[in-house]
Amino acid sequence: MISRSERLVNHLVLGIVTILVIFPVLWFVFTALSSDSSGRIDFSRLTLGNFGVAWQEGDFAHAMLASTVITVGSVFGQTILAILSGYAFGVLGVIGQKYIFPVILLGLMLSSEVFIIPLYYQFQSLGLTDSWLGLIIIQIGMGVPFGAFWMRATFRALPPSLIEAAQIDGAHSWRILWQILFPIAKPAVFTLVLLSFMWTWNDFFLSLVFISDPSKQPATLALGVFQGQHSLQVNLMAAGSLIVALPVLILYVLFQRQFIQGVISGAIKE
Amino acid sequence: MLLDTVGRKAARKRVTRAPIRIAATRRRRRRAWLGLAYASPAILAYGYVVIVPLLQSLNYSFYSWNGVTTARWVGLANYVNFFTDSALAQAFGHVLVLIGFFAVLPIIFGLVSAGLLGRGRIRGQGVYRWLLFLPQVLTSVVVAVIWKRLYGPDGPINDALRAVGLGHLALNWLGDFNWALPALGLIGTWTTLGFCMVLFVSGVVSIPNELYEQARIDGAGPIAEFFAVTLPGLRGQVAIAVTLTVTGALRSFDLVWIITSGGPGTSTTTPALLLYQKAFLNPDVGQAAAIGMVLALICLVIALGVNKLSERNDA
Repeated sequence: MISRSERLVNHLVLGIVTILVIFPVLWFVFTALSSDSSGRIDFSRLTLGNFGVAWQEGDFAHAMLASTVITVGSVFGQTILAILSGYAFGVLGVIGQKYIFPVILLGLMLSSEVFIIPLYYQFQSLGLTDSWLGLIIIQIGMGVPFGAFWMRATFRALPPSLIEAAQIDGAHSWRILWQILFPIAKPAVFTLVLLSFMWTWNDFFLSLVFISDPSKQPATLALGVFQGQHSLQVNLMAAGSLIVALPVLILYVLFQRQFIQGVISGAIKE
Repeated sequence: MLLDTVGRKAARKRVTRAPIRIAATRRRRRRAWLGLAYASPAILAYGYVVIVPLLQSLNYSFYSWNGVTTARWVGLANYVNFFTDSALAQAFGHVLVLIGFFAVLPIIFGLVSAGLLGRGRIRGQGVYRWLLFLPQVLTSVVVAVIWKRLYGPDGPINDALRAVGLGHLALNWLGDFNWALPALGLIGTWTTLGFCMVLFVSGVVSIPNELYEQARIDGAGPIAEFFAVTLPGLRGQVAIAVTLTVTGALRSFDLVWIITSGGPGTSTTTPALLLYQKAFLNPDVGQAAAIGMVLALICLVIALGVNKLSERNDA
């Protein structure tokens, strides 16, 4: 049993760190509500009006639409490929998997800067720069290592009897996947969807490289431009930032357990 | 005689089993072809987006190319530049500073708090975890905007300094040649701290209770207990934290690009920033590709090295 003083120390440690971490965010939220463009916070004069003004001036309607299309397309593609490849590597086995799977896992340690330059020239010649489809294709390809690794681990964690039953009849593999295995694996698929959503929505670097047309840019990129133009209107800048962060924040509020466990266990299993 | 029947029985068994085994092998092979069909969309997408361009990058890195005119083969010159070009050396030097802030500080801090928190369940743990983890889900642009404002000439940090009579210390932190890099680094500390704490605290819970009881019986105080039980028990988690935060520091781009773009002067350049500039702004594409290859190689070596190290200590 832990003593009272120990409990006090625990709360003190956690409390102090938490305040340090959360203060900038809280302070920023109040800045977004400030009616003063210098961002001074006056608790008696808070306003929601900044959000409307920022939405208009930053043309966030366009940018949020772009982000939504890119994110939904990418998450859908990533999830389908993850389920199919996880099923292949985890249940069916794949010809040459001794060589193929390590190469896929290698992708967990690579980041976009090693392949982005040739890809840029390739996409330019195909007309896939300044295109949502182009970004979706990149996100889907980049998502394969984590998706395959995550769903393979999920399927392998199912009871062996179930896997064996699934292996008996190869001809009906499609039905076995979707009618028997998928329903059981749903929670893991859902976590994967949440993580993919967060990673795609929050991307900045890929969009910066591949999108230069302002009418096509996703929300993160639009915010980058907006904050440059409104450095003197701090309350608008803060409001614009919260607009861009909101979709992921809402998901985080609703599904915090999946987010935290997903990120932590994803990191551990690697 | 007896041996003989046993032998014959075994032989008969082998005979009857062999066709089954062959059939099973054949079935498994057929299934593996089917598996290849299922995996092929993922393999193709990954190959097209990651592997083929990766190999092309390697090829690019042996050329001098401005993105427009014909490329010229220069052999290893782009790699030799890592030792001769002062801008490149400087960027990698900055990474060392950033590693201190992105990796060393949060890990030490996370370990200390994991040690202090111990193993008791704390009421409201979920809420703490939720708040501590929050910076992880914020997009880098928003993090950048928040901190740009915090560090601003009339931002809250300077306001606070003035309020306590230390106004002479108030500074345009991000515009200062000496302070811009540590100021950026501290943002990294802020984003990774919660991740490290959550990782370590959840790791402590899975350390077997007997180890702690044994340490108590041996008369270990809290500090000895930390070094004898908690720290070794968290070896795996520390390895993960080191890998992710160090490679994060090496690759840092978004924050730097949005907040300082490498400035003032070149005081906050990073390899990824130079890569972006050389690839897309004033093209020296071969050099940019070489930076990408070197970054990938370093990250790979760190990931494998840390992994090896943490496993070897396990024995």
